[in-house]
Amino acid sequence: MTFLQFAYRNVFRNFRNYAAFFMASFFSVFVFFIYSMLMFHPEIERGFLGEVSIAGMVFAEVVLVLFSWFFIFYSMRAFLEARSKEFAILLHLGMDRNQLGKLVIIETMTIGIFSCISGIVFGFAFSKFFFMIVREILNLNALPLYLSWEPFVLTLFVYLSAFIVISTLSILFTPDIKIRNFIRGPKFVDAAVSYSKRNAILGIILILCGYGLALITTKASIFSYTLLIPVFVTLGTYYFFSDTTLYIIDRLKGHKQFYWKRARMLAIAEQVQILRFNSRMFFIVTLVSTLAFLTVGVLSAMSSYTSQYDKINPIGLIYKGEMDNPYEIEHILSVIDELEFNGISYHMTRFTVMRQTSSYTSNPVEVFRETDINHLLFSYKYPLVNLKSGEAMFIPYSEDSIEKLERTEVKTVLKENNVDLTINSVYPKMFFPTAIISSNSIIISDEDFEKLTNEFEMAPYVEPGYHLFTFDIPNWTETKNVGIDIQQMVARDYLINSEYTLPFYFENAGLNYSYILATYSLLTLIGILVVAVFLLASGSFVYFKIYANLDREKKQFDMLIKVGLSGKELKRLITRNLMIQFFLPWGLAFVHSAFAFYVVQTVLNDVMNLSIVKEVVFSFTMFALIQIVYFFLIRWRYISHVRG
Amino acid sequence: MSILQIQDATKVYEGKVTKRALNQLSFEVEKGEFVAIMGPSGSGKTTLLNMVSMIDTLTSGEIIFNGMKPQKLNSEELAYFRRRQLGFVFQDFNLLPTLTVEENIILPLTIDEQPIAVMEERLKYLSELLDLTPILMKRPNEISGGQAQRTAIARALIHQPMLVLADEPTGNLDSNASREVLELLARMNKENNTTILMVTHDPIAASYCDRVIFIKDGEFFNEIYTDDRRQTFFQRILNVLSLLGGHVGDFSSIRLP
Repeated sequence: MTFLQFAYRNVFRNFRNYAAFFMASFFSVFVFFIYSMLMFHPEIERGFLGEVSIAGMVFAEVVLVLFSWFFIFYSMRAFLEARSKEFAILLHLGMDRNQLGKLVIIETMTIGIFSCISGIVFGFAFSKFFFMIVREILNLNALPLYLSWEPFVLTLFVYLSAFIVISTLSILFTPDIKIRNFIRGPKFVDAAVSYSKRNAILGIILILCGYGLALITTKASIFSYTLLIPVFVTLGTYYFFSDTTLYIIDRLKGHKQFYWKRARMLAIAEQVQILRFNSRMFFIVTLVSTLAFLTVGVLSAMSSYTSQYDKINPIGLIYKGEMDNPYEIEHILSVIDELEFNGISYHMTRFTVMRQTSSYTSNPVEVFRETDINHLLFSYKYPLVNLKSGEAMFIPYSEDSIEKLERTEVKTVLKENNVDLTINSVYPKMFFPTAIISSNSIIISDEDFEKLTNEFEMAPYVEPGYHLFTFDIPNWTETKNVGIDIQQMVARDYLINSEYTLPFYFENAGLNYSYILATYSLLTLIGILVVAVFLLASGSFVYFKIYANLDREKKQFDMLIKVGLSGKELKRLITRNLMIQFFLPWGLAFVHSAFAFYVVQTVLNDVMNLSIVKEVVFSFTMFALIQIVYFFLIRWRYISHVRG
Repeated sequence: MSILQIQDATKVYEGKVTKRALNQLSFEVEKGEFVAIMGPSGSGKTTLLNMVSMIDTLTSGEIIFNGMKPQKLNSEELAYFRRRQLGFVFQDFNLLPTLTVEENIILPLTIDEQPIAVMEERLKYLSELLDLTPILMKRPNEISGGQAQRTAIARALIHQPMLVLADEPTGNLDSNASREVLELLARMNKENNTTILMVTHDPIAASYCDRVIFIKDGEFFNEIYTDDRRQTFFQRILNVLSLLGGHVGDFSSIRLP
C-alpha cells in the first residue's frame, strides 16, 4: 500500500466521517457556480438584467468567495479536531509531522476535487431552475441556458486554490497533538470555568446600550447612531458569549434547589463546557444570522416599498418653482416636448400656491385654489371638491394624517388679507407625494383666493408662494428619459451645496422607480444567495462542533445509560443541550434584528410613512420555521450517532 | 437469602464468527456478600457483568434479581431498575469532567429526582465515611486516581442500591490506591451490608472478597471461600489460577502487601 493509496482509502472507506466536510465544500461550490453562470451570461452585455450592474454582481461574488473560504476553513478545523485521535495513532506508529501534513493535504484535495466536480455538475443541472427564478424576480422575458467555459474555469480555479491554501493553513495552525492524551487512560477535559464578572456585566450593558440607542433613534440622529449601535451590539455580543452566559450559569449553580433538581445539573454543566469552548463560534453565528435576517428584512421592506410606490407617488412628474423662477417656461416647455416626442400621454395641471399666515397657529399655511385642485382630481378621476366662500379643506400629507385631520375643526383668519375661514374637512385621499407640499396646506374657494392680494408677511425672507406643475401620467414607468437635464441640475445642486439653492425642484417618479427597482433586483440576487450560504453555514458551524465532540459525549451518555438514564430522559437531555446551542445564538440574532428593524421602521415612518412590520414578521416567521426544521434534522442525526 | 440468582446463563454472539461468551453459567450471590469473579481474558467476565446490569440480553437462561426477572422489564422500567437497584464502579472511573466531585456523587439521585434534603444528607454521610469532604468542590481532573475511584464508589453507594457492580475497580490505580479502594469496598460491605459483585483479574483484589468464583471460557470453573488470613486466601487464589491455565500475562504482577 503506497502512501497515496493509504490516503485515498482513508477517504473512501470512511466516507461517512468525511461527509460533513464534503457537504460543506459541495454546497459552497454549488452556490458559487450557479452565481457565476449568471454573471457570465452572454446576454448580460445587452443589459438583460435590467439595471443590475456588473459591479454589484462582482461584489456579491467576492463576498460569497470570502465567506465560503472562511466556512471551508472552519469546517476543516472542526474536521481535523474530530480526527485528532486517529492522527495520534499515526504519530504513535512513527509518522512524522510532514507526512501527516502530506496526508491531510492529499485527503483534503481528494475531497476538494470530488466536491468541486459534483458541485459543478449539480450547479449546472440546477442553473436553468435558478435562471427561471431570476427571470420571475426581475420580470424578464427570457433567460436561456447557455454553455461557456468561463464559469467552469472560474469555479475550479477559486475552489481548488482555496483547498490548497486552506489545507496548508490548517496544518500550520493545528495545535500539537499530544499522543499521550489520546492513546490510553481517561481523557480529562479541563473544565475550570473562567470568566470575569466585569466583562459579564459589560456585555449586558453594551447590548442594552445598543438597544437603548435603537429605541431613541430618530430621523435626525440616525447617522450618528447607526455607527454606534453596531459597535455596541457587536462588542456586547462577544462579551455576552464569552462571559455573561457563564456568569449567569454560575449564579444558577448556587441555587441547589434549582440546580440539583431533575437532572438539570447534567444539562447545565454541559452547557458551561459548550459555551466555554465555543463562545467565539456562537459569536460568529449570531453575527452571521443577524446579517442574514437583516438582509431578508430589508429585501422584504424594499419589496413592499416598490409595490406601494405607485400609491405613495401618485404623480408622474412634478415641477415646483418659485414665483419668479427664470427657468420656468423653458423647463416646462422642454418637458412637454419630450413627453410628446416619446408619445406619452399626460395631463398637466398648473397650481399657484400662496403662503399666508394663519391667525390660529400664527404659522405659515400654504393655500391652494379649488379650481386648480379640481383640475388635478379630475384627471385622477377622484371626486371633486366643492367649497363655499369662507370654507376650507385640509390636504392630507400622509395616510395617517387623514384620520387625524378629519377630527380637527379650525376657525382661522388669513392675517395678511383678513380672510375668515372655517376648516372643517379633509380630502379623503392623498393626491400629492409627502415631501412636495407643506403639512399645513389647505384648499379654499376661488372667491376667497381672489382676495389674497397682499403678500406673505415675511415675504422677502420666505418665498410668498410657488408654482407647481404636475403631470399625471398613466404610464408613469415610461418617463425615465424625460427631463433628465433638469433632474441632473437638481441632483448636482444637492451634491455640491449643503443647502438647496436652485429656484426650482423637479421629481421624476418613473426615474426614481427605475433606480429603486434596480437596487432592489440587485439586492435580491445578492441577498438570496448570501442568505442561503449564511444560513447553511451557521447551521453547519453548530453541527461541526457537535460532531467534533461526539466521541467524548457518546462515552458520557453510555455511562449515564448504565447508571440508569432512560431513553426518554436521554433524548430530553440531548434536546436540551442542542436547543441551547441552536437557539441561543439565533434567538439573540432575532432580538438584534428586531431592534435594527425598529430603527429602520422609525426612519421609514418619518421619511415616507411606510410600514414594514408585516413583511418583517413574515420573513422572521419563515426563518424560525427553517431553523426549527433544521434543529430537528440535526437532533435526529445526533441521537442516531450517540446511540449507534 | 440470595439477592442475585444466575441460572444457566448462556450468551452467543452471532456474527461472521459465532462466539459463545457464556455457557450455562449458574451461581448465586447472597445478600451482604462480597463476591469476586475471576478468569482469564476472554472468559466472559465483562459479558457477565453486562448481563447483570441488563445492558445486554441473554441468549438463554435466567437472571433473577431479588425475586424478580429484570429481563421482563421494558426499557423505561429497566432504566428505573438500574438507577435504584444497581450501583456501578468502573475501571476508568467515568466521572463527568464537567461536574464537581460533589455533583458527580449525587448524580444518581439527581437523575432519580430525589428531594434536595435527601441528597445533602446522604452526601454528608458518605463524604465523611469515604473521607471525601476536603475535595468535594474539586473537579475530576484536579484529584488523584484513588480519590477519583473513591468518588466513583460514593456515587455507586449514594442511592443505597441492592447490588454494587464493580468492573476492575483497581485496574487504573497504583498499589497504594488499590489497597485503599479495596479496603474501602470491604468496609462498606461489612459496615453497610452492601452486596458487591466485582470482576477482576487481580488476585490481590480478589483476596479481599468473601468468595471468589472462577470462570473459564464462559463456564463455571471453581469457587473458593475466604478464611481467617488474607495471605493464605491469596495463596489459594493463586493456586486455582495456575490450575485455570490462563496465560501468564493475564495475571498482574504479584504484589504482596
